[in-house]
Amino acid sequence: MNHKSTRYLPLVVTVGQVVIFPYYIIWLKEVSLTFTLFAWFFATFSFAAAWGYQIAQSRTNKDHSYIMFIYAGMGIVYILIGAIKNSSDILPYAVILLQVILGLLQGYFRAWHAEQDTYHLHAVHHYLIVGCAMIGFSFVKIISPVVFITIFGILMCMCAVWELFRKEKKKTIIPGK
Amino acid sequence: MQTIALLVKKPWFLGSLVVIFVSVILWNIPIEKRKYGLSQSGLVTDYTGLLPERIERVVKAENRSDLQRIVKRANVNGQQIAIAGLQHSQGGHTYYKNGVVLDMRTFNRILEIDEQQKTVRVEAGATWEDVQEAIQPVGLALKVTQSQSIFTIGGSLSVNAHGRDIRFGSMAETVKAMTIITPEGDIKTVTREDPDEWMKYIFGGYGLFGVIVDVTVEVTENHLYTIQTEKLKIGSYASYFDQLLNDQHMAMHYARVSVAPNSFLDEMYVINYKQTEKRDYTTALKKEQSVRLTKLALDIGRHGGALENLFWGTQKRYIASIDGKEITRNNAMRSESTFMEYTKPGRVEVLQEFFIPVHRFEAYMNELKNIIPANDKNDDFKIHNITIRYAAADRFTTLNYAKEDMFGLVVLMQHGLKEEQITEATSVIQNWTHLTLDHGGTYYLPYYRYQTKEQFRRSYPQWEKFAEEKLRRDPNNVFQNMFYDYYVK
Repeated sequence: MNHKSTRYLPLVVTVGQVVIFPYYIIWLKEVSLTFTLFAWFFATFSFAAAWGYQIAQSRTNKDHSYIMFIYAGMGIVYILIGAIKNSSDILPYAVILLQVILGLLQGYFRAWHAEQDTYHLHAVHHYLIVGCAMIGFSFVKIISPVVFITIFGILMCMCAVWELFRKEKKKTIIPGK
Repeated sequence: MQTIALLVKKPWFLGSLVVIFVSVILWNIPIEKRKYGLSQSGLVTDYTGLLPERIERVVKAENRSDLQRIVKRANVNGQQIAIAGLQHSQGGHTYYKNGVVLDMRTFNRILEIDEQQKTVRVEAGATWEDVQEAIQPVGLALKVTQSQSIFTIGGSLSVNAHGRDIRFGSMAETVKAMTIITPEGDIKTVTREDPDEWMKYIFGGYGLFGVIVDVTVEVTENHLYTIQTEKLKIGSYASYFDQLLNDQHMAMHYARVSVAPNSFLDEMYVINYKQTEKRDYTTALKKEQSVRLTKLALDIGRHGGALENLFWGTQKRYIASIDGKEITRNNAMRSESTFMEYTKPGRVEVLQEFFIPVHRFEAYMNELKNIIPANDKNDDFKIHNITIRYAAADRFTTLNYAKEDMFGLVVLMQHGLKEEQITEATSVIQNWTHLTLDHGGTYYLPYYRYQTKEQFRRSYPQWEKFAEEKLRRDPNNVFQNMFYDYYVK
């Protein structure tokens, strides 16, 4: 169980992020008033991701990570996106904040994932799974991208809970050895 | 290069980069503008979008002969023409069902500046901003215009607009001559002394008496003014204004009335522009500044309740902060407008203006408290802003809103677009109009038609003369619009 979750959770997250990306782009374009703003939102995400990556890399204790909170954070952001009203006055401000948080979390996750033994194996698998998933999704009629984004947010929260159980279990097994 | 590579490895550096970048974006987030006008697919609207209508086509004339040909042909073919500029009027004044819309924006040249006579000859499709850009370098400024310079000359004259100036009377009084195309297609140059009295009907004639082609408008020196601001109680405003009007150094004035629950229709701020006798040739025309920040403040106030109190507090602090500052006449006549954009789906923000005789102001404002609620947080119909302008008595135009010296209350309000929400807004505005009429006031006609036909006729007792002249001068009913169709026909 421990072995499986260590192995598969990051893969689920990586695949999920790539699969949700087209839906996220549609949403982001809808809420950006102009292409310029759309591009700026993306740039913000990118800079924040670099920041998150560097934070993860600068950890002194590499065995210790906050990956459970990273999953939960990503999940909450995606759920929030699903809950935001497009007509809100503060929409551009909310979006830029979410872009910073999402970029930061994603950068951190990528850096952490790259340190895992399974990273290179996941790289190949995730390409294949994403390819298959996207073929599957091409037959699903999109009513609104936020539905998928919210579902993914819930999935991420479930990953966080799973990770929490895994850690707790590991703690209880070690003293009894 | 090495330094950059080292810096990129520091989380604090990347964090700072994100913070700086986000700050820059926050400052520059563009404001969504209303989609309205002639480009709406299949249907034409004006600024509110409340009266969408199908038209036959939009025509743009290349020159005067072209314009004349379009009007003459309409007489022969039985076509109806409506005249449009930037379409900031809100009651269907610029289009007509199945009619032709004459888009005047191509007539936007400044034809002549006479520095000695202090006049400018300008085509009707130009904006006041175009005029300001042309006359500012020679130290001249407009005599009368609205607070913003985004309107076309033809549009402003057709609604006989007014603004912050308190010395030069109505906008119509500043026009020396103009070229028009009559409903029968004749080109005429008319003055105030014209025995046919064309100006009397064209100013405030809402495009129903002919096409304004160009206008010779009087201008004045671009003086430097000192801004004076003061907080007042509503009750003392009329006497305060009387004194202000007697002080010949005061050139311009307007006021803001609180619509915040804590000081509702009780507190107000006046903003005066006092002559310094210094003429300005060098100060650049101001551009829109801090639009996003101002819009954010207005958006906060739009929620009503405690947030409206917060917004009024912010306005007070801002107004107090400009006390003593200097501004040119041109810049005082070009306030920002983009921050007022409102694009929430399912809702609309509209303007109404009520004119009340100066001496009736206090009693009127006290009674107004019974018609509109102090706290509209939970109401669909909300009032965001009331500003006051002085409108000097106008005895020249036919549909004149200022029969005596009046205060114009410009009201920015918002309501939903569902049938029951529009009905509720209509009811409040009709009650408000009723109160205004009872106090000897009137309401302004360029806005959406919330008022009843009876209220229109009571406000503008000369409407019959207006209608009679319309039929006499335009026997083939060439110039038509939705406003005329609803109220006058």
